[in-house]
Amino acid sequence: MPDPTRRAVLLGAIATSATVVVGCSNSDQQPEAIEIEPTAPPEPDPNVLDELALIGAYTGAINAFPELRGTLGVIADQHRGHARELGATEAELAAITPIPPSATNIRPAVTELIKRERSAANLRADSTAAAQDPEAVRALTFIAASEASHVPELQDVRRTLKDGS
Amino acid sequence: MTYTDPAVVATIQNAIRSEQNYVYACGLAGAQLNGGARRRAVAQMTARQQRIQALASMLTDSNVPTTPPAFTPPTAIENARSARTSLAELNNALVGVYAQMAASTEGEDRAFAVAQAQDSARTAVQWGAASQAFPTGD
Repeated sequence: MPDPTRRAVLLGAIATSATVVVGCSNSDQQPEAIEIEPTAPPEPDPNVLDELALIGAYTGAINAFPELRGTLGVIADQHRGHARELGATEAELAAITPIPPSATNIRPAVTELIKRERSAANLRADSTAAAQDPEAVRALTFIAASEASHVPELQDVRRTLKDGS
Repeated sequence: MTYTDPAVVATIQNAIRSEQNYVYACGLAGAQLNGGARRRAVAQMTARQQRIQALASMLTDSNVPTTPPAFTPPTAIENARSARTSLAELNNALVGVYAQMAASTEGEDRAFAVAQAQDSARTAVQWGAASQAFPTGD
């Protein structure tokens, strides 16, 4: 079970503060018991979860094929930057579990990453439609573009790998 | 949609001017490139002119910037290598331009801006740039 996120802790603190303010608002009378519905934990942001999964996939691919550490490590670091921009905590980043590639050969493993990047770029682009805050739209657009650019970069990596490897 | 809000108009005008400059740079680069790279530069000139038309359709005629007579890219285009570098830089700079446009528009126009940002970032890598977490022209 992961640690509570920073957002969940903050929301819990806000709920507690609300109870205290209400309790002190009428000093002439006994404070009335007020029931406050427990704050539901916020829905996890699918973009953050996807970034964390991408980092796990890159870490798993690097563990399986250390010769790809150069390029894949750089892209994984870019995804860490994306995750932080979207609100991931350092604890969440530190808790990422490597996801081993399902392919046992190196070229299909890179193809898996290409598919993940395409899917990520689409998810980020779709998310801009519903975003209300202009800064969030701007950030998601940068991230969608970055992830789209990973596709040709990984295709170049795949081209350099020998067939059958 | 036709925009008249000055702030939104400014972001679309910025995108048009940046694309006009890119078209000019493709012409300069085409003179230095050969084979597939030259063909790609020429094809991009056509594609980006279509983008400019799409952007212009979001503005009233009086708000559409005229095409400048010339453009000097930040990285001078003097040979094939600098041509690739320059086109890559200009594409990465376009990502920021379209991100700004996406933030100031809605609906289909926002989706258009996001799609152009993605295409620009992909094109930058195809011209030889390394990918960036937050692509810029720097």
